[in-house]
Amino acid sequence: MTVTALPGFPRPVPRWRELGLLAVVAVTLLLGGLSLGTTRTGSLALAHPAGLATYLGALAAVHLALVLAGRRVDEVLLPTVGMLGGIGLLLAERLPQDLVVQRVGSATLGLASLQLIWLVLALAIAGSVAIAVRSDRWLRVYKYSWAALGLGLLLLTFVFGREVNGSILTLDLGPVSWQPSELLKVILVVFFAAYLAENRVLLADARVHVAGRLTLPPAPYLLPAALMLALALGIVVIQRDLGAALLFFSVFLCLFYLASGSKVDVLVGIALFLLGFAVLALVFATAHERVAIWLDPWSDPLGTGYQTIQALHAFARGGLLGTGLGAGLPAVAGQLPIPAVHTDFPLAALGEELGMTGVVAILGCYLVIVARGLRIAAGAADDVRALLAAGLALVIGVQAVIIAAGNLKLIPLTGITLPFISYGGSSLVVNGLVVGLLLAFSDRGPAPLAEPRPARRLGRQQA
Amino acid sequence: MTVVGTGGRGQRPLGGRVVRLGIVLAIAFGGVALGAGYWQVLRADDLSHDPTDAGVIAAARSTVRGRILDRDGHVLATNRRDTSGELYRVYADRSLSAPLGYVSSLYGSAGLEAADASVLLGLGGDDALSRALAKFRAPARRGDDLRTSLSLTLQRLAVRLLGADRGAVVALDPRTGDVLALASTPTFDASGIADPATARAAFAAALDDPGQPLLDRATQGLYVPGSAFKIVTAIAGFSSGAINAATAFPQQPGDETTGLLVDGFRIVDGHHLFTGSEVLDFARATEVSCNIWYALAGLRTGGAAMDAAARRLGFGAPIPFDLPTAISQLTNGGGPLAGGFADDVELANAAYGQGEVLVTPLQMALVAATVANGGVEPRPRLVTALVSPSGAVGNVPAATLGRVLSAQDAATIAGAMVQAVEGVDGQKFTAGAQVAGVTVAGKTGTAQLGGTGEPNSWFIGFAPAEAPTIALAVIVEHGGSGGSRAAPLAGDLLRAYFAGQP
Repeated sequence: MTVTALPGFPRPVPRWRELGLLAVVAVTLLLGGLSLGTTRTGSLALAHPAGLATYLGALAAVHLALVLAGRRVDEVLLPTVGMLGGIGLLLAERLPQDLVVQRVGSATLGLASLQLIWLVLALAIAGSVAIAVRSDRWLRVYKYSWAALGLGLLLLTFVFGREVNGSILTLDLGPVSWQPSELLKVILVVFFAAYLAENRVLLADARVHVAGRLTLPPAPYLLPAALMLALALGIVVIQRDLGAALLFFSVFLCLFYLASGSKVDVLVGIALFLLGFAVLALVFATAHERVAIWLDPWSDPLGTGYQTIQALHAFARGGLLGTGLGAGLPAVAGQLPIPAVHTDFPLAALGEELGMTGVVAILGCYLVIVARGLRIAAGAADDVRALLAAGLALVIGVQAVIIAAGNLKLIPLTGITLPFISYGGSSLVVNGLVVGLLLAFSDRGPAPLAEPRPARRLGRQQA
Repeated sequence: MTVVGTGGRGQRPLGGRVVRLGIVLAIAFGGVALGAGYWQVLRADDLSHDPTDAGVIAAARSTVRGRILDRDGHVLATNRRDTSGELYRVYADRSLSAPLGYVSSLYGSAGLEAADASVLLGLGGDDALSRALAKFRAPARRGDDLRTSLSLTLQRLAVRLLGADRGAVVALDPRTGDVLALASTPTFDASGIADPATARAAFAAALDDPGQPLLDRATQGLYVPGSAFKIVTAIAGFSSGAINAATAFPQQPGDETTGLLVDGFRIVDGHHLFTGSEVLDFARATEVSCNIWYALAGLRTGGAAMDAAARRLGFGAPIPFDLPTAISQLTNGGGPLAGGFADDVELANAAYGQGEVLVTPLQMALVAATVANGGVEPRPRLVTALVSPSGAVGNVPAATLGRVLSAQDAATIAGAMVQAVEGVDGQKFTAGAQVAGVTVAGKTGTAQLGGTGEPNSWFIGFAPAEAPTIALAVIVEHGGSGGSRAAPLAGDLLRAYFAGQP
């Protein structure tokens, strides 16, 4: 197949790999919809055909746009994200629609319709950013402005935020409620990447002896690290949002390690965070309660431990292969066993209906995103770009680990979302932005012309 | 933006670090996957069969519960429909209220109905693989029947013999652990609680009864065992080598009159002065239930060996059983002496079943069954088979809890227990347990509770002594001496049991 460029437009570049993977995604999601519809009606039927068609259409549209834009960007990220989003859409379709109801004009939209709208919006953002962003100058040059904006957002939430489940996470903007910590994570990655890349040499090589063989970077250069620690713990204190704190701090430590190469610094950072959190857990009731529930949810099985226990039961009911989509989550007297299943416990619902096999597959998708992001980082043209790509991928991967481990009672439960699967506009839109940036940063430049050149080396190119 | 130069960590390419970071993330994801494996495979059965599981509760509303049968096929629990078509449970008899419990749309469930809810609701399949394969079969509309080892005849008789008294009877086959009767009085109206029309009144009546009928005394009641516990002391002494059949204490006859001085505390034994100056050996001491001899034997055996033998018998942990069990204890724990004893006085008292010793009737029945079964403790079993609606039978195999003492020592102890029932002096206490034509082995207990009330009356034993087919424990609260209430009750039960045998 030869594709010729229209005058004034870039030459389209076919993306066979992405197309093939998207076909796998489409088949999988159609089978899932078929399974759900059949379980529900008792005869062969496809659940929510219009919704699935819209979603697959949106994926195809992003694919086509990337082909037409002629950019040679990563071909695995979009199908992987598409798979996760599709699973989230099936879950939203499967759950009771009245879990979330919003009136838009004269129409009343339920869970699946809202999730579909946000998913399509997220895909649109991912596609537009992937095509439009050609330079990261606007990100790296204004790093302090970004940092200020991030802190401003945090402050705004603190002052005007609404408390939900003991955590101040939500900002009401007219009819739409927004969780600023979602956007904050992207802003912080930008700031860290720019700052750490700039100060790499000093952080890694100008070491000060502390005790014995333990060395740390000189104090002035540690200031941002200290600020980050303070910010993370501050979020725990002020917003009572342990998940976001854990996420920000983990990603910061990962990037710090990439920049300085010092494992000691990371270990010291982890120790300080754990120490700080332990102190806070003793002082603040919310943190204390979360830890107590984590250690023994069965001490209050009908009260504070209820959701955690129900989630573990859901995983257990799923077993190896799951009950099948639509066949799990038994409602007793019309009540789902896990009230916040669509936001905080989607993995428990999927673990029940898709089994351990499904959980491992979903975790595998996140690991693919991380791997692609790190690959983009390894191939990046300079340090800022590398740290940006790694940080953006880690934001998704680490967030998935934190909430999945929380659902499985491996760590205390936190109220952050499972990226691309949980219900939630802020989360989907921001994660769409992250994917768009990752795609943009993966651009391998214009296609080689007629004369084949030796393959490009992986690894950093010297400027 | 790149730094030019060589040498420092701050100037090396990021490639290697990126790979290492990727490995760390992969490990983290692997850890989460292992967590999923823990809950979804290792703990899957445990959690998803729990009576509080939402799946079990939901299935209860849509599935015909399996029936519960006794060893002869008598139906102990079945279903009936009320006027609105809702199914509810009916039980054969009030005497079954302790082992079977109840199931109610208002008050949840208890007993075997709770413990085996998932099987009764057809949610069975025990390992991860069969659970996985079960997805490909149509969901059960009807649960499995449970075939139990209970004998409705013996169960009814045991409850009738306990009469208006509070107490418990546990009878089991020492060879298999099959529980023949598991009685607890007072009983409650389980059918009344199960029927939505009468549930409120029946449940309120059970709750308000001062006799606490909702407590299954046979598995959950904790009692001071008194002299019945001497068999545990004997097991500890023999298996540790501290005592043997010929063991005698020259000081014992004198201490009968003056009391045994331990750490300044005087242990007195008033109930067999008729042995006079006779120095008792193990069998004679067991026959006349000599507290002084057993106190001395306990002191010689020591706290550590007492504790070890008690733990082998199942003290200190829930007994593996179809129903939840309370934990029997030798001491309150925490004492400075081996085994958790506070001092030698407590050890000496514990040796004849006082001190801080607390036991469940099931545990004491297992003590008798262990001696009866040649030193190997059977694992108690209530459900012997699951019968699916299609008629497929899944047998629950009999199992043991391991060897507690040697067959030879078990035979010696069994001999002493025969003497305690049939011997010239033993008869003075325990004649009530005798059965014409059958040699009965046993030991009474008269557990002093402090205060002025009548003591608790105990009997544990088995028969026929030569080849035991039944072992039992009887406790009658405030029933007086072991010989006056529990032993005759056991005799009546054994007579009925052997009369019913071909």
